[in-house]
Amino acid sequence: MAVPILKQGDVLIASIQAALSDRDLTELRDELADRVGRFRARGVVIDVTALDVLDSFAARTIRAIAYTAKLRGAMTVVVGIQPEVAFSMVQLGLTLEGVTTALDLEEGLALLGPAPQGGPRRGG
Amino acid sequence: MAQARRPGMEEAPLGEGIEISEQEANARKQFLEFRQEDADTLRSLNDVARRYADPVIEDLYRHFLSFAETKAFFVDPRVLDRVKQLQKEYFLRLTEGEYGADYLANRLRIGTVHEHINLAPKWYLGAYNFYLRGVATRLFEAFAKDPQKALSGFLSLMKLVFMDIGLAVDTYIHARESTMRKQQEAIRELSTPVLQIRDRLLLLPIIGVIDSQRARLITEGLLRAIRANRAKIVVMDITGVLTIDSQVANHLLQTVTAARLMGATVIVSGLSSEVAQSLVALGIDLGRLNTVGDLQGGIEEGERLLGYRVVALGEAGGPRPA
Repeated sequence: MAVPILKQGDVLIASIQAALSDRDLTELRDELADRVGRFRARGVVIDVTALDVLDSFAARTIRAIAYTAKLRGAMTVVVGIQPEVAFSMVQLGLTLEGVTTALDLEEGLALLGPAPQGGPRRGG
Repeated sequence: MAQARRPGMEEAPLGEGIEISEQEANARKQFLEFRQEDADTLRSLNDVARRYADPVIEDLYRHFLSFAETKAFFVDPRVLDRVKQLQKEYFLRLTEGEYGADYLANRLRIGTVHEHINLAPKWYLGAYNFYLRGVATRLFEAFAKDPQKALSGFLSLMKLVFMDIGLAVDTYIHARESTMRKQQEAIRELSTPVLQIRDRLLLLPIIGVIDSQRARLITEGLLRAIRANRAKIVVMDITGVLTIDSQVANHLLQTVTAARLMGATVIVSGLSSEVAQSLVALGIDLGRLNTVGDLQGGIEEGERLLGYRVVALGEAGGPRPA
């Protein structure tokens, strides 16, 4: 797997560390769709901080992940899109319509909110 | 012509001067039909030029000093002496037969100096005309027995002089243009501030005309500010945008979308009735835009989204002044 998927409570975190091939992206999509159900995840965070380019296939795949996860009951947040990346995406018309975004991982997790009562808790 | 340099300015770098390539110089000479014969003719006049240099230049400066506007450039007698000396060098140089890169560079320098001391082209051209009349009179005087020689010499000189004037005018224009460019840059920088008005709340006031270059600067500045200030909400106030067309609207939409990709929500405020009506008439889809009537409303909406509540002192629940 090119992208490690971490589990933090009921949130899955996929941290993309380097430019991905189309194949890696497809794998990530399938893997996340599978794990959302398996771990009964409430949220998915895709961290793209390390990417300095996001092409149309990547944008489409991320959208597909978000929509699929939603159908499986989880909300997806894309975090860490860099200013230059955001600018060139807009120029290319890649607007990630319908996908929630946040500044960074911290913001993304805050957006997903604390685990509901009865869910796993951190610390004592 | 008048190399009226301020004392101490001699070594000042004239960095923004233009460069004339050899190709360009040749093209100019060809168009003027300035050929080797002309250079030779001019060189043959060098002796005459030496003889008449001083009276021609004295006449010219008498002319300068008899007008208040041009006299103002020579209040310091040392400047006058120096300029006369340089003028004499130039005068002799016209008949030296060498009109290569060095000559051209010297001519370009003069134009830049004129621009620096604010000598308007009208005085430059007027003085040049006076100067040429003086030269013509003396040329025909020197060759009274051979007017054909005087005429051909004068015509060659005219070619050279027109090349000089062309170069000087180019430097005037170039200097003005570079001033304008600097001002435009300054205006552009001043006109796209991104201000933080609350923690995580930015204000982006947009004033004036938006073209694609400025839209790009606005968007880039905003995106950087979003990251630097960890902003969640941006109030984009377009009260200062008087007219809007589909291109401008698209630029603004792109800015909003780019901010959203970084996780920030943009509230657009200050749409005047004209702007609102033209947006509707243009049929631009603004359904996704979060719009509010005025800047106050925009800031209030931003505060609400961030969970702030502004309470006047003394109101129930608010802190009381001591």
